[in-house]
Amino acid sequence: MKKLVRVILLNVIVLMVVSNQALSFADPSSLYTTEIPENWVYQAQRSNPHLSVFYGEGDYDLLYFQNLGPISDANVEAFVERTLALYEGPGGLQKFYLDKAPHQVEVAGERGLACVYSYEERSGVTLWEYRIFLILPDQQGFSIALGGRAPWNDQDYPVLTETLSQWRWLF
Amino acid sequence: MKTFVARKTACCVVLLCLILAPTISYAQGAQSFGEWFERSLGSSAVPELVKQYGGVYIVPIQERLWLDEVFQRLVEVTERKELDYNLTVLDSPEYNAFALPGGYLFVTRGLLKAIAQDEAKLAAVLGHEIAHVEKKHGINAVLRQMGLTVLVEVGMLWLDVIPADLLRVASTTLLQLLHLGWGREAEYEADAVGQSLAVRAGFDGIGAVALLDDLLEADSFDLPMKVFRTHPDTKDRRYRVEERLTSFWSIPQFVPAAQLKEILIESRNYDQNRRSDPNNRFFVAKGLSSGLEVYDAQSEQRMLWLEDIKVKDFAWSPTGQYLALVVEQSSLTELWFVDRYGHVVQKLQPDVKYGRIVALSWSPRGEMLALQCSDGVEDQIMVTYVHTEVYLPVSGPLGGKEPIWLDEGLYFLRGEDWYHTSAPPTKPVVVPNPVPLVLQRQRILSPTVIREGDTIRLTRPSLVLP
Repeated sequence: MKKLVRVILLNVIVLMVVSNQALSFADPSSLYTTEIPENWVYQAQRSNPHLSVFYGEGDYDLLYFQNLGPISDANVEAFVERTLALYEGPGGLQKFYLDKAPHQVEVAGERGLACVYSYEERSGVTLWEYRIFLILPDQQGFSIALGGRAPWNDQDYPVLTETLSQWRWLF
Repeated sequence: MKTFVARKTACCVVLLCLILAPTISYAQGAQSFGEWFERSLGSSAVPELVKQYGGVYIVPIQERLWLDEVFQRLVEVTERKELDYNLTVLDSPEYNAFALPGGYLFVTRGLLKAIAQDEAKLAAVLGHEIAHVEKKHGINAVLRQMGLTVLVEVGMLWLDVIPADLLRVASTTLLQLLHLGWGREAEYEADAVGQSLAVRAGFDGIGAVALLDDLLEADSFDLPMKVFRTHPDTKDRRYRVEERLTSFWSIPQFVPAAQLKEILIESRNYDQNRRSDPNNRFFVAKGLSSGLEVYDAQSEQRMLWLEDIKVKDFAWSPTGQYLALVVEQSSLTELWFVDRYGHVVQKLQPDVKYGRIVALSWSPRGEMLALQCSDGVEDQIMVTYVHTEVYLPVSGPLGGKEPIWLDEGLYFLRGEDWYHTSAPPTKPVVVPNPVPLVLQRQRILSPTVIREGDTIRLTRPSLVLP
């Protein structure tokens, strides 16, 4: 009986370990690789060679990486400033509010800026987004965004922490 | 005697303007009087037009960047560089577009929505409206209506002044005429100039045809699409813009056979084995008098498609998604498109005047097909679009046969010699300085599958909001 319980327990532990495993993700345009937590699902229909979209467990959980192609901003600060001005301005995001001002981050050795902002989506729900802005070699604009319903604090990005720790650029 | 009359006329105009002097405003800068008057007239009518159409619509960022890029590309190829063209989106559900003298262009929110990011159609609309400004249709119509042509022309030469009351009246006349249209010939000219502008700016000229097809379809359903409603007969305009498409193609040039052979060897998209699809999944067998015998390499299945149909020729689309077929129907030939399940998704029936289709070749991007058509005496190469039914004779008056479409252009045989022609170059819209997208999750509605014996029933999905 004891042996059976041990076997069952061992199986449960193995299953738990396996179920928490992240999935390797290679960008279709060969720009980067990373790991995505297993309960985040790749959305093929919304993705394209320049945009990779993942849905999380929550109804609004969203993780996406976008390669914008060439941009003309002199530095990442100007890129962030221009983007946020457009988000905030006419035709931008409804009830835009900058929760956390742009601050420096590093993604696999590439320096960027990150910020947190909230806005109201069409049905009136307030959404928060943590966004990282980067300018890669050849003036390629790049963005990593984690969206959801929770008004996150700086420490509340386990998904992003995991994804960014495994991030590797392929250039 | 003539000199005396001219002097008398000039004196009268000067006298008239001196009388009106207290109410005049002066032209600014280096602009000519005519330009200033045109610009003033257009700008004076803007507030009223915006009011009539529900105010200015604030276009969402990404859409605005795309719209600006299409607009700027068109403005770059305009001839009247002295004008400062600007575009306003009106908050109206109508499907409409306008141009006021001086470069003030307007499209409605309804039109943008209906066009659904089709850059060729948008370029056709904006090109048409820009052409009205380029050719001064609006200003000329107003001056004609008010009988002011001579006064303004003389004023342009000597005075550089304009009475404010005159501008007010002209502005009212302009708005009235705007809804009536600038005249039949002006509309035809705007179609021609607009289409040419769109092609020069790197958009496909087919956009004008597709747009007029939308109007014809709306006419048949009596939908509220007011754009070009005041214009000449839509069918006639469609005929003219289709005819003009051929003129944008290059004149066929002789290609030495050895050079073509080299091109074919080096070409990435020349398919010598036309029987297999580009992914080598399906293979069409030869030799059936009717129907198509297709093999699926993955499931090793033999399928018989369109059993009773006589298929004369076929070609796989570059992605392998469709199979284009030349089908014999009594004395006619038709062009059919079949998907990878053997279902007919579209049938095109070219006019009898083009003759029977003998052979076909897809364009490398898969949006067009070259057809070899024969009337029994001579062959010619016609080009058609998959989504818009047009037939463009591109091989010239001496005809051609055996079309081969490669990245470099369309090759065909005329007598013993090979010739080359190509479509006008197009370039996709790339927003020059984009900003990151802000995405939101989309809910996918899935039906419930209910199995009842041998039948499967799908229930209507219900939307559950979190």
